[in-house]
Amino acid sequence: MTEVEASVHVSDDAVAPETGSPKSAFLGVSVSALLAACGGGGGSDPSAASQTTPATTTSSAPQPRFKYVAAGTDNEAARFLLQAQFSATDADISAVRSAGFEAWLQKQLALPIGTTGWQWLDAKGYGDVLSPSNYYDTAVPADYMAWSQLMISSDVVRKRMALALSEFFVVSSYGLDIEWRSHAMAHYWDTLNTHAFGNYRDALEAITLNVAMGFYLNTRGNKKADSRGSQPDENYAREVMQLFSVGLVLLNLDGTPKLANGVTTDTYTSSDVSNLAQVFTGYDIDGTQRVETTIAQSGGGTRKVGNTAYTRLPMLQVGNNHSFLAANFLGASVPANATAKDALKIALDTLFNHPNTAPFFCKQMIQRLVTSNPTPAYVGRVAAVFVDNGKGVRGDLAAVWMAILLDDEARGPEGLTQPEFGKLREPMVRFVQWVRTFGGASATNAWRINDLSNAATSLGQSPLRSPSVFNFFRPGYVPAATTLSAGAVAPEFQLVNESSVGGYLNFMMSVIGSGLNSGDIRAAYTAELALVTDAQTLVQRLNTVLCAGQISAATQTLVVGALNATPVTTASTLAVKNNRVYAAVLMVMACSEYLIQK
Amino acid sequence: MHLLQPDLHTRRAFLRRSGQLAMTGAALPLALNLAAMGEAAAFNAPGGDYKALVCVFLYGGNDYANTVVTYDNASYDQYSAIRGGGAGRTAGGIALAQSDLTATLLNPALAPVDGMGVSRQFALHPSMTDLASLFNAGKAGVQLNVGPLVGPLTRVQYNSTDRVNNPRPPQLFSHNDQQSIWQSSSGEGSKVGWGGHIGDLAIQNSLNTQSIFTCMSVTGNAVFLSGDTALQYQLSTSGAIKITPATSVNVFGSSAVRSAISNLIQQSSAHKLESAYNVITQRAMLAEASVTSALTAAPPTTVFPTDGLGPQLKMVARLIKGRAALGARRQVYLVSIGGFDLHDNLIRDHGGLLAKVSAGLKAFYDATVEMGVANQVTAFTASDFGRTLASNGDGSDHGWGSHQFVVGGAVKGQAFYGTPPPISVSDTKDSLGNYGPANQWHVGQGRLLPSTSVDQYAATLARWFGVADTELIDILPNSVRFGGAGYPLNLGFML
Repeated sequence: MTEVEASVHVSDDAVAPETGSPKSAFLGVSVSALLAACGGGGGSDPSAASQTTPATTTSSAPQPRFKYVAAGTDNEAARFLLQAQFSATDADISAVRSAGFEAWLQKQLALPIGTTGWQWLDAKGYGDVLSPSNYYDTAVPADYMAWSQLMISSDVVRKRMALALSEFFVVSSYGLDIEWRSHAMAHYWDTLNTHAFGNYRDALEAITLNVAMGFYLNTRGNKKADSRGSQPDENYAREVMQLFSVGLVLLNLDGTPKLANGVTTDTYTSSDVSNLAQVFTGYDIDGTQRVETTIAQSGGGTRKVGNTAYTRLPMLQVGNNHSFLAANFLGASVPANATAKDALKIALDTLFNHPNTAPFFCKQMIQRLVTSNPTPAYVGRVAAVFVDNGKGVRGDLAAVWMAILLDDEARGPEGLTQPEFGKLREPMVRFVQWVRTFGGASATNAWRINDLSNAATSLGQSPLRSPSVFNFFRPGYVPAATTLSAGAVAPEFQLVNESSVGGYLNFMMSVIGSGLNSGDIRAAYTAELALVTDAQTLVQRLNTVLCAGQISAATQTLVVGALNATPVTTASTLAVKNNRVYAAVLMVMACSEYLIQK
Repeated sequence: MHLLQPDLHTRRAFLRRSGQLAMTGAALPLALNLAAMGEAAAFNAPGGDYKALVCVFLYGGNDYANTVVTYDNASYDQYSAIRGGGAGRTAGGIALAQSDLTATLLNPALAPVDGMGVSRQFALHPSMTDLASLFNAGKAGVQLNVGPLVGPLTRVQYNSTDRVNNPRPPQLFSHNDQQSIWQSSSGEGSKVGWGGHIGDLAIQNSLNTQSIFTCMSVTGNAVFLSGDTALQYQLSTSGAIKITPATSVNVFGSSAVRSAISNLIQQSSAHKLESAYNVITQRAMLAEASVTSALTAAPPTTVFPTDGLGPQLKMVARLIKGRAALGARRQVYLVSIGGFDLHDNLIRDHGGLLAKVSAGLKAFYDATVEMGVANQVTAFTASDFGRTLASNGDGSDHGWGSHQFVVGGAVKGQAFYGTPPPISVSDTKDSLGNYGPANQWHVGQGRLLPSTSVDQYAATLARWFGVADTELIDILPNSVRFGGAGYPLNLGFML
């Protein structure tokens, strides 16, 4: 009996829920088409028609037509889950199979934000100004915070999307040397979470006025031109266009570049950058809640340290540093003497409404979640939802995630046999998956996972630790040693070299068996240990939960054969049983069929 | 896509990989035909000699104006006025104090003369004492105002909307594209760099017994070292990473598991991404033992800094020391240091970065002397771009042309190459619409319009490395646009 999902998602834009006919609300497809489509799921579900419930309305009517609406097998459910979040537990698989993709996703979109990064830091005492650890001067708590947010939050789809957003609106702990930088990073992370299911326009404004971003890209303290010839800092103006909204070249809605005689057209000029830079002048931190504590210094003397408050207050105009010159960029005009607030609105509205923004943003989000080389048609479908979510709203991020994950190209079986479909799982996502899949826990609940960026000696990537505002990898990266067709890209491969392939395997070998932090963080492997005497079943399970059944029969045979070289029975010692589980997990997580997510 | 002849490399690469080179006919460019016929071993590598190029990439776009600082009074005063210097030639804004520059004053054999006939003086940033010493000892040179160009370009041409007749590199001022263009003449997504192309020629001329060790990076992935056959081999500052689960005796108590893992991580696949991943692992497995063995020799005794470029350059030095074990006679290396994108805190942060560059280059040079290969190893710097001369208050913004260093025993040091740019942020033109000589060499806010192209810079280094003139078009297709008056292909900084 299919469970019917009755909750209603209310977006930030507070649209009234529809109570129209089930089919139009759900998919706008005929019942017969629905029944026929179920076969595409690899196992028809005759009750699929009953999934068209009146309540699954929300901001999604009329949605694009989706052929694949339900998971007919555990692997299909797992495939969906591994795109939507980090792991596919038994409970998740069961829930997806019961509810169908859309209903399950709607439920996740409706979940409130869990513990915020800020709350977590404070609860753990990382906001204590008097601590001899000088937490105000270190980004290490931000690492702890980021890893624990990804690993233990219950609003896990929101976390997955916030992580994707953190690779678009990039701020990195490597770029901040400010007082209370960990709290600043936490608030930046929380901001992404707050808006992850909201509207892109709100996200853009919140990020623009965010303190961490203000320090990272120099909006904070940016001043108008002075009489000596000093000019406004152009960093944010350039990067907000190049990376956070419109990109470098004019695009069609399907993400392909607009060509004139085979040549692309630049989206903006140097003049646009200089003009836009005027808009971002005059901002500084809001110091109205500053409370100082005098801290004795070890070398003698004292230092006045402020409190964390400023890092989560939006930047505002301070002093007389705003440029009131007229500014013209991207066809928009900020009149002379416009207020900073009005100028900002014009600027951000212009970026938001630019025809490039939908495809530029959507294509990269598809690349983060599903595949490095989406067809232009797929990009176009998702971009169209960004443009209009079906209720006349532009920039509805919840609708965009739905459009990405429910699209035929993501759900359909074709991708599973195409030699270029899919993407390399990012190292940090693999590690979070391991923790969540195998019952990882921190015995002390401290979750002190450090910066794991070192590719030679560690995992090779760490959340919120991009090397630059250009993220860990470029959307257009093409690995050198590849047979990819012309124009195809593989962004995550920018992390792959002869050091990192080894670093990852060495790291996983260590943590799979011994955990992290002298075993404080370990996996339980409860379900795996229950299957340990049957190598075949064990490997099948791992195949499903780790990579949705994408490991070939031949590879499974190889793995099972290696496991069976050491017999394991119910009488075997726990050490022997553990070894088999560890070996199985490592072998699966080592093979390229796992590493490439399809 | 290359700036010129976009199909050339794809086609040549295809032919090489298909092994059809011997069968090719007159349809190919002359240079390729000569190589195909093994014509007099065009590559210059007299019996048994060794050479290495080391690219030191400064990521973020290094502020040229506070690196190679104009020092003579007249030009210093202009610099100071633009950058907010204090009265009496003191520090202020983002201008350095003239008196702080005395210790790093460069003393060339011949003073550089700018485009207006004025003899100029330069000093390095105060933190670069070692590099200034190397310059004055004749072991380092400065290439002035170099940057990517499609062809010779004036400021008027830059302003023109006719991009067909006045082409410029795409996406100027964009970090990732300019990094890629410096390294490969093509924007983001480029697959082949000129360092890799140089490596291709070394491989083609059978100069290295193991081609995998031709192009080696001790930093992250970059296109510079990717060629058609040469691929970047990357290793860490502590050497090649041994993959424990594939090489230890037992893994979780089982040799069968270890054997399976070794198998799994190298197996081929019909899926392009799976295959691409495992190819890299194969290379890692193949190379590790050789590299580890080559590194067992005692490292040079020269002390390297433990931060910045030190660890990377120390590893390069150790690899050069182990070149016989690697079977290498011609190598191209890449190291890097980031953090140069100083839109703010230029004064606070720039010195520390430049100190690392100076100390790293000095230690590396000393190590090559110690190893007896000083004349055979040339290091050169590169960066995304220079920056504005104008200030934004406490930093500078993205620019274009910049000043770079070449260091080594084979460098004709104690000299400047190229033309010192005038110190100007002015855009004024005369009544005929021409820029005065003082304003011709920047494109606004003192962003330098390069008077030397990366192609010329690369060609000069390549020629020293052994690349024949006829082969230059293979590695730098765009170099055909240069060679005329004012843009010589041989800049002359190598002995």
